[in-house]
Amino acid sequence: MTDSTALARPPRTRVVVVGNGMVGSRFVDDLLARDGPGPGPEARFEVTVLGAEAYEPYNRVLLSEVVAGKVEVASLALPALVHPRATVHRGTAAARIDRARRVVHAADGSVHPYDALVLATGSSARIPAITGLPSLAGPASHTGAACAAGSGEPDPEKPALPRGVHALRTLDDAREIVAASVNARRAVVIGAGVLGLEVACGLARRGLAVSVVHGGPSLMDRQLDPDAGAVAAATLTRLGVAVRLAARTTEIHTTDGHLASLRVTQPDGEHHLPVDLLVLACGTIPETHLAADAGLPVDRGIVVDDVLCSPGDRRIFAIGDCAQPPEGGTGLIAQGWDQSRRLADHLAASAARTVDAPGAPRVRLGGVQLDPGRASMALRLSMHVVTRAAVGPLVDSPSSGTALASAQPALEAPRGTDVVRLKAAGLDVVTMGVCGARRALDPSHRTVRLSDPSAGRHVEVVVAGGVVVGATCVGAPQIGADLTAAYTRRTPVPADPAYLLLQPVASATTTASDPTHMPDRTTVCRCNSVTKAAIVEAWHGGARSVADVAAATRATTGCGGCTDVVCGLVDWLGATALTTVPAAP
Amino acid sequence: MTATHCPYCALQCAMSLHPAPDPAPDPAPDAVPDAVLAAPPGGSASVVVQGRDFPTNKGGLCQKGWTSASLLGVGDRLTTPLVRGADGELHAASWDDALDLVAERATAIAAAHGRDSVAVFGGGGLTNEKAYALGKFARTVLRTANIDYNGRFCMASAAAGANRAFGLDRGLPFPLADLGGAQAVLLLGSNLAETMPPSLQHLTGARGRGGLVVVDPRRSATAALTADGAGVHLQPVPGTDLAVLLALLHVVWAEGLGDADYLAARTTGADAVRRSVAPWWPERAEQVCGIDAEQLRRVARLLAAASPAGGGSGAYILTGRGVEQSTQGTATVTAAINLALALGLPGRVGSGYGAVTGQGNGQGGREHGQKADQLPGYRKIDDPAAREHVARVWGVDPASLPGPGLPAVELLRRLGAPAGPDAPAGPKMLFVHGSNLVVSAPNSTMVTANLQALDFLVVCDFVPSETARLADVVLPVTQWAEEEGTMTSLEGRVLRRRQAVAAPPGVRSELAILADLAARLRSPVHFGTDPAEVFDELARASAGGPADYSGLSHARLDAEPIPGLFWPCPAVPAETGAPHPGTPRTFLDTFPTADGRARMIAVDHVGPSDDLRPDAPLYLITGRVLQHYQSGAQTRRVEELAAAQPGPFVEIHPVLALTLGIEDDAPVRLATARGAIVAPARLTTSVRQDTVFMPFHWSGAGSVNRITTDATDPISGMPEFKVCAVDVSLAGTVLAPALPTSVEVLR
Repeated sequence: MTDSTALARPPRTRVVVVGNGMVGSRFVDDLLARDGPGPGPEARFEVTVLGAEAYEPYNRVLLSEVVAGKVEVASLALPALVHPRATVHRGTAAARIDRARRVVHAADGSVHPYDALVLATGSSARIPAITGLPSLAGPASHTGAACAAGSGEPDPEKPALPRGVHALRTLDDAREIVAASVNARRAVVIGAGVLGLEVACGLARRGLAVSVVHGGPSLMDRQLDPDAGAVAAATLTRLGVAVRLAARTTEIHTTDGHLASLRVTQPDGEHHLPVDLLVLACGTIPETHLAADAGLPVDRGIVVDDVLCSPGDRRIFAIGDCAQPPEGGTGLIAQGWDQSRRLADHLAASAARTVDAPGAPRVRLGGVQLDPGRASMALRLSMHVVTRAAVGPLVDSPSSGTALASAQPALEAPRGTDVVRLKAAGLDVVTMGVCGARRALDPSHRTVRLSDPSAGRHVEVVVAGGVVVGATCVGAPQIGADLTAAYTRRTPVPADPAYLLLQPVASATTTASDPTHMPDRTTVCRCNSVTKAAIVEAWHGGARSVADVAAATRATTGCGGCTDVVCGLVDWLGATALTTVPAAP
Repeated sequence: MTATHCPYCALQCAMSLHPAPDPAPDPAPDAVPDAVLAAPPGGSASVVVQGRDFPTNKGGLCQKGWTSASLLGVGDRLTTPLVRGADGELHAASWDDALDLVAERATAIAAAHGRDSVAVFGGGGLTNEKAYALGKFARTVLRTANIDYNGRFCMASAAAGANRAFGLDRGLPFPLADLGGAQAVLLLGSNLAETMPPSLQHLTGARGRGGLVVVDPRRSATAALTADGAGVHLQPVPGTDLAVLLALLHVVWAEGLGDADYLAARTTGADAVRRSVAPWWPERAEQVCGIDAEQLRRVARLLAAASPAGGGSGAYILTGRGVEQSTQGTATVTAAINLALALGLPGRVGSGYGAVTGQGNGQGGREHGQKADQLPGYRKIDDPAAREHVARVWGVDPASLPGPGLPAVELLRRLGAPAGPDAPAGPKMLFVHGSNLVVSAPNSTMVTANLQALDFLVVCDFVPSETARLADVVLPVTQWAEEEGTMTSLEGRVLRRRQAVAAPPGVRSELAILADLAARLRSPVHFGTDPAEVFDELARASAGGPADYSGLSHARLDAEPIPGLFWPCPAVPAETGAPHPGTPRTFLDTFPTADGRARMIAVDHVGPSDDLRPDAPLYLITGRVLQHYQSGAQTRRVEELAAAQPGPFVEIHPVLALTLGIEDDAPVRLATARGAIVAPARLTTSVRQDTVFMPFHWSGAGSVNRITTDATDPISGMPEFKVCAVDVSLAGTVLAPALPTSVEVLR
């Protein structure tokens, strides 16, 4: 900690971010949005980004859409970071952290000193242990190209996958799958999680014969219970995707180095599947080796506390897929973006305090309790907070005279970052909170389920304490969207969840088809507040045409939209008069 | 017969006023009038109204228009100046006494506290002539920087968005009737069926083609027009319209549906915008806005198919207050413009982007200098050339003109405020023209308190509005059919407002009042009192500005076969021959930006300033009903309208009502961070289950603007009327009656 320049201006905090993916790049945006525009004393941060991939950050979530041919690759590019106090080194992998000197050594020999180090190295595709595939668990790699996701570290040491076998974690992976799909007829996707199903539907959309081979007992079994999974499986079958459950791929056969077939063990025996294209969607492995090599605690991911700080070094933080927070990593982008925002808040707040208190450490990292419960919608939905820097991203101008929700600590931990939404044409799945395997027997939970397998629909909602605490929606996209809104915002709902599943019957609309059953008080002409009763009264008063009715009541003289209805009423009144004496209105 | 236009909204429906027949003996109850000339029931009007054929309203009028003649005979019409006496009550006074007092106080307060301590608050219902004179009065007589107007509540975000994207803000840069040929019309936060019903005629074409898309958290009367295959209603979570737009833009680019040639030829900034929407894939937007991802895709494709590049017959994107009255209103307008640009719509015949202006002269009102940062002709007050030009027309030294003042919400917040560490003392005296702040301002309880904290409040109005009742001096003015002037409609068409009846004795035009006050304040600056003369001066002042009226005059407007010309309409030197024909469609060749291209600017969704929290777990949104206009100061006095919509109500979804134990018509208490109000429940499935809706036209216990937020958009200064967090419960007490509209204290 140097304090030699503290008198003139607090020296800027040097933040090094390892990883230039969706979370790392978002974090840099978030942090600098909380900083002054500079170069004055409000400008507190200098950021250096090390990204292993040569690409600019892109939207990895949409790779399955690229595979499906639904989006153009150019639309994946995320905002380019242009900021006077940020330096981005693309294609520069971090090689080593020297915690004693507080520097990061990059693979190209450059050295990057830090006051705070943020690891956003992401994760890489898990390669299952199958005979014919290289190594055991570990990142896959094609011809030494960068493959570790989240712009993690490329590892040219990893052996290549056989031709025809692909993971889907990077833009290059997606391009290769698309290229391979041109000549392939039969595709197999191993793994029926979110990514696996999106890829399967995407390849089916491209006209390939697709099979999904899944080791679990039902589809998406991390999110769906067997009943819901069965409805999803039926829909998938209707889309032309064959589903093999409880199926273990034991061996991959190649011919001349190219994939030829699979051996799959299922409860009913062993199958040989001829296949031209195999996509591995078997989950991800957090990219942790930088942290592990530096002696930081690493479990499945880089262990961090509830302020995203490593317990082994208060200057080192981890966010996104590489991190293992107390609540566990979900692998969802919403969680990573939420962590990005929280960490940016934390660092900005810490730096602000040191500006106010000269002589204090430049940044008191990790020592301040970040409030994980400050649950504004921005937090819960991980919204971007860049363009509002003019008023301060989280606190409105003090003159606004308003109490802001974001200034009020909420009691519960952040929620809503665990909404899982499948992006697969023809198969709609949304889950959140208490669902599938996460569903525990809790007497305070009320659960109602609507299962309609033949329509491809299965909805379940769990209510507790007057709010939605979980839901599963298969084949019911609008209900899923509504429940997501209620779940993430914790809006009050009836104790009986059934009300949330039944779409309210639309109120009867005015039609001219059956004037007899139109209530007298129905407004026929909105523009002039004219009811059916008033028109009937005018008719009895002698108005026998639309023009007469218009003259008497002004009906039809606004937008004219009710002319047909008035015409129908006049005709009905005329016809009724021929046959009977109309009842008094 | 007098050909004129409706006194209310920006559609400015054409109507003719006919002398009322002699009061007939009571007609037989069953008699049917032989024409649509039926005298409005309940009014003692001296004229009757008839719809008049015109491109915008095609002869149609809504109930407000049909009954507008009743305004001429309202029972509590102000006909004498009122001055607050030592007893604290308002008493009738002579014009001389009242004006002397105003002049004396203005002089004294300015001398004691500086010129900026005297402020002016204008209105979007004033004629162009009055708006112009008011701005000139503030800048040359009072020489205060502090003038702004209630258009800041309406159009500021649309104006800011359009100005920075196109270099020009004309609400609709095309004639309204152009909508008729469109294959798709996207309406965001606009409830035309209630706010300007006759305009629906122009949506018939798009509805017939299945192309009407309405984005509204309520199934409003307008949203209901999408039924039966006429289009799509997107019903987002309140405050998330921007996320909807970002997702639509995402789909347009992701699926390659944009107009690449147009983007290359006519825009800048597309790449940054494309990147900025990369994180807004539909499934993510769905989690924010509550609209199914596939619906978002469908709408994006529908719009693209309707666009010229998609081979369609044209598409329009229109925004209204529902998306603009937001702390991210300018960003939302910008996103709507970005979407329009990506689809290649603006500046093409048959397609475009527009903002649906609300107030009667909401367009002209923002062009002629009653805005804190503007001079006539839509000029910027901090532009030296603009100051030079306008000062020459006014015959003053450019250096004597004040600079930009406080925008409306900030101005209202500062009223009567003592000096603080960061700000000088707020204004001590305020002139209010054509605005009923007590009902229409956000967080209006605070605004009311601030008005009461002023040293002196002057209100010009023709009825004792809630705001007038707080004044120290009330000056009775002419209205609508009692005066001549011009209004500029939502499509930028300058229209003539004509006098049909004599004003009641004792009433004066604001032009006369301002001229008189200028004289009493010993200003050498000339103030005309003839509207045609004032217009001519306005036209000269606007010459060369973005909103150039210099080729227009009352005489020329009167001579047009279809009266009304679209600005810009610059003067043409006499030797050149034909006068400028006006500009029905702007941007056809170029955008009035430095490089002639439209600017695309990346924006992002943040969400409402006052978002849900455990003790306010629902959204409150506000809006209008067909029968009332703005604060209701006029329409609540029209018996037929008041009878049709007598008071405020809270729309609640039956499932939410069930959750909260609220029955239909039960009193409901709404509490926000600003306060609490009570109004009866109206159960309806048209509103989302996480949202309650209230119309804002009333004062008293059910006046919703008492609890709306006054947080403002950082760029436009527009307040976030349209969404805040609210706690909803069954009220324990009986409803308190609204304030009576008649004022006993006056007699």
